Formats: sequence, structure tokens, C-alpha cells
Amino acid sequence: MDITKVIVTKDICKTYGSGPLRVEALKKVNLVVNKGDYISIIGPSGSGKSTLLNLIGCLDTPTSGKLYIEGIDVSTLKENQLAKIRRDKIGFIFQKYNLIPTLTAIENVALAMGFAGVERKKRIARAEELLELVGLSHRLHHKPSELSGGEQQRVAIARALANNPSIILGDEPTGNVDTSSGNIIMEILEDINKKGNTVIVVTHDPTIAKRAKRMIRIQDGVVREQHVEG
Amino acid sequence: MNNMLRDNLDLAFKNIRERLSRSILTLLGIAIGIMAIVSLIAIGEGMNVAVTEELSSLSDTILVNVGDGFSIFSIGSVKESGEYLTERDISDIERIPGVKEVTTQLTGKGILQYRNSNVSVTLTGMDSETMKLQHFSENLESGSLLQENDRNKIVIGAKIAHDYFDTEITVGERVKINGNKFIVAGIFEKQGISGVISTDDIVLLLPRDFEEIIGEKNIYSATVTVYDINTVESIALEIERTINENHGEDDFASTTTVSSILKSIQRVLDIIQTVLVAIASIALVVASVGIMNTMLTSVMERTREIGIMKAIGATNKDVMILFILEGMLLSIVGGVIGTLLGIFGSKGLIAALTSTVLSHNVDLQPVVSLISVVLAVGVSMIVGVLSSLYPAWKAAKMSPIEAVRYE
Repeated sequence: MDITKVIVTKDICKTYGSGPLRVEALKKVNLVVNKGDYISIIGPSGSGKSTLLNLIGCLDTPTSGKLYIEGIDVSTLKENQLAKIRRDKIGFIFQKYNLIPTLTAIENVALAMGFAGVERKKRIARAEELLELVGLSHRLHHKPSELSGGEQQRVAIARALANNPSIILGDEPTGNVDTSSGNIIMEILEDINKKGNTVIVVTHDPTIAKRAKRMIRIQDGVVREQHVEG
Repeated sequence: MNNMLRDNLDLAFKNIRERLSRSILTLLGIAIGIMAIVSLIAIGEGMNVAVTEELSSLSDTILVNVGDGFSIFSIGSVKESGEYLTERDISDIERIPGVKEVTTQLTGKGILQYRNSNVSVTLTGMDSETMKLQHFSENLESGSLLQENDRNKIVIGAKIAHDYFDTEITVGERVKINGNKFIVAGIFEKQGISGVISTDDIVLLLPRDFEEIIGEKNIYSATVTVYDINTVESIALEIERTINENHGEDDFASTTTVSSILKSIQRVLDIIQTVLVAIASIALVVASVGIMNTMLTSVMERTREIGIMKAIGATNKDVMILFILEGMLLSIVGGVIGTLLGIFGSKGLIAALTSTVLSHNVDLQPVVSLISVVLAVGVSMIVGVLSSLYPAWKAAKMSPIEAVRYE
């Protein structure tokens, strides 16, 4: 397996329910993502784009087919091994930020490194660095409830970067923020991509989608590569 | 994972603070259970110490009785036939190697005169040490027992003081026994029918006074002290054998050592304490159900949070540790509060007891040992861990995707 192919899916399917209620969210998806790719996944709601992202993010497991993350077949891994892949190789950004409400910005970022066993002092220092990177050095000790939507999402990005993952996944990262905050967020993600990280963003906003180097459209669980103009 | 401990503790503290009133109620449950246990143990230990202190100064002592001997609740009965220990018995006892001293308790009939009325009473003569030993469990309603150097003083039973004469006798008043003047030094509390020999009709006086007014010695029991405490039991057997041989009966007399009395009292106290602590432990079981309930609710409410943590790389173990730590923290804080409440509570309880049930001359202090404190906090910690195991496991088992989707 070529290590430049950071994500490879082979005929992955995801079905929910059984019998007459059976829903095929993904149908035999084949996808190769190279190191340093910047991909947007678009499609109408219910098309399966979030399902695909969740599978790539190891939050969920495929019903059938193979999924390789940096050459590792994750479709056969146990829950705890998946947790370690999520921790070390993937940074996930959610539409609703999903910060821990009781923790401050810096604690939220440091928590992710804690799970990886990083020493406390180093965690705090790196969390501070990352928050500075996303322009929040003045908001280190604020709780999520004291931050705007855009600021919360930037904390979430810092958290996603905490353990130096090679893959950054964003599920509608700009979905809950205003346009200018959305722009800032996308710029940060593009900066990260320029540093060599693979970035995949799910969106229904065509202007956001067009910023990516590759665009993938999902409809009824089937994936189609789209040409990016300009 | 050690370097996460501080953060985990931090997080646990924050979560406890976030749901402060619920947390306080939960740890109150633990606190009450631990308080009950700690205070009961402290009082039990206190009783043990009080009894031991009261009796240990007499551990070199053997009581010799005609008849059935001595139990916690009664002194030996005077044989109906009017048989007594003889001078020969006493001198035989004195000859047994290791015996230090023999004192005798005497009995005889006398006429008690008070304000020109006469009543026939049974007189009991014994020295002050024996008096203290034989009547440690009965309380005086007023006055005190006799001291070694007292002369012409008596201690009387409640019935004699209150019922025998038209006018009640009080401490300090003068009476006559067989024409000799005596001062009433103490009056026993009304005892009723408990015990073989009731103190209600008793007239206690010192041997010297007894011999002066009765003339003869009717020895119904003897108190023997030995040189070496370790020989108490063997000398007691020897005495029993000697006297029974003198009288040609197998069970003419019996002996009782203070240490055996002490042992039987301690055994009874131990049983009472065990039962009480067992009952108090039910409170702890209820409290642990409370913790489990609180933790389960907390897991439910934090479904999303758990999902987030798992999504950013927390393993099942990480999540479990977090919740177990939280449950443990709750119960340790509860345990510490309970221990403190137990220490102060036992003092209050004893104060309440001494002002009502117990008489004031009983010196009862709660004894809180380090072991019981460590045990109490340890037990609460274990309760915390055990009762948060299931909620923690439930949290750990959550699928990250469902937890994150949960609204």
C-alpha cells in the first residue's frame, strides 16, 4: 500500500435498519485520498455525505467493504483501537463545535492531548500555541458559552490539530457561523492544508465547496468526482 | 495515563460543581451512613474503654462465693441453707502460693432504727474495694459508696430509704443499727427485680463496723488478690478445689475472676456493636444506590459530552476512569464529612445519653481510632468505586457517533 494514499475505501457500504426499513446510506463507495489533498464533499441532505465522513473519521464502521487509513485496515478494528486512530491520525470538526461546556478553551484543546498521554505542561503549552494559531490567544480561559459561534469553531479546529493528525475532517464546519467567520475558518483550514495535512470538508454551500482542490458529489449513496472550475 | 489524573480530577470536580445541589444530596447520603458507623464504633469503643478502665485495676482479684458465683447481672446468691465459708476456708486460701490478700464479705441480721421505728434488716459487711467491684453496675441515686477509712457509715437500698419508714431517709441522716450510731453515706437507685440479690433491701457497711455490732463472722464471700496477674486463673481453680474439698461438695463454692467478667462484658459489647454497625451499614447500601442513580443520570445528561470525548480519541478506559473518579470523589468527600459528623455526633450522642439514660458518674467518652477513620474513608471510597462501575461502564460503551448525534 502506497503511503501517499492516506485514505482508501474499497466498496464500502453502510446500511441502517433491516427488512423493509433498511436504508442504504452508502453504496459501494470507492475513493482514494492522497496525502495533502483538499477535498470537499457536497450533496443534498440525506445523500450520505456525513455518513461517509463519519466512516472516514472512524466514528462509525462500514457494514461491508474495506477502509484503509494510512494503510491500516480500520474496518476490522476493535472500538479501543479505533479510538486510538481517532486520537492520533484524525482531527474531527463538527458543525455544532462540540466543545466540552464545562472546560475553558485551553482545557478543551489540552484534553485531546491528555488522551494521547502528553505531559501536562507540554499539553498546556501546545494548546496555547494552537489557540494562538487560530487567533484566539485572548480567549484562552473562556468557556464555550462565553465565545461566539465562530470562536467556538476555531477552538474546535485547534482541538482537532492537537495531536498532530495528518487528516482533518470537517462536517459542515461553517454551517453554524456567519459568512465572515466562515471565511476565517476556511482560511485556517486551507493554511493547515498548505502545511501538508489532508483536509476533507463536507458542505452544502457551493462557494465553500469550490475552494477545495477536489470536489466529490454524493447522491443517494453513490459517489461521483466533480471537476473543480477555476 | 498518570499525567491525566490531575486533569481527570479537575474534570470530575467541575462536573460535581456543575450539578452542585444533586452532588451535595448524593454525598449527604454517604455522609449519613458513614456518620452512623463512625459514631457507633466510637461509642462502642468508648464503652469498652470505660468498662476496662473501671475493672482493669481489679484484674488481680478473684471473687469467691458460696453457690453459683458472679455474673454481670448478679452477685452470688447466699445459700438458702445458711451455709457460709469458714475461717478454715479463708486460712486455706491464704496459704495458696501467690495469694496476696484475702478479704471477706459478711452477712448477718440486724435491727435498723430510724426516728424511733425499728426494722429488721440483713447487714452486709465488705471492704471498700470489694464494694466498688461488686456494685459497679448499680448506680447510687445519691451519696457515694464507702471509703476505706470511713467509720460508722452505711449505704442503703432504695426500699429501705423510701418505703420502710414513715419518713424517707436521705443521705447524711443518722440511723442506729443494733443501738450503734451510723450515718447514711449513700442510697442505691431503685433496682426492682433484676439480679439475684436486689440492692433494694441492702445495708452495706465496712467489715470493722460489722464485726463490732454483730460479733460473729458469717462469710458469704471472699475477695482474693494475687501477686501475679498471670496466675489469676490457676489460683481461682485452686481455691475452688480447696473449698469444695473442705466441705465435701462438688460445687459448694465458685470463683470468678475480674478478667473473665471483663471478657464476658466485652463479648456482649462486641455483639451489640456488630449488630448496630450492621444496621448502620444499610444506610451505606442505600447511599451507594444513590450514587449509582446520580451517576447514571449524569451519564445520560452527558451522553453528548462522552461522545465528543470518544470522537477526539478517548478510549473506553479513559471514559470509565473519568466516571469512576467522579463517583469516588463524591463518596470520599461524603465519607470525610460523615467521619467528622460521626466524631462530633458521637460526642453529642453520649452527652444526650448521659443526661438521660446513663447516670452522671459513668465516665463515657467516644473513642475514635485512626483505624476507624481510615476504614470509614476507605469504605466510602470503595462504595464510590463500586457504585459508579456500572454507570461508568454504560458511559464507556456508548458509540461515539450516536452520542454525538444525541441532542
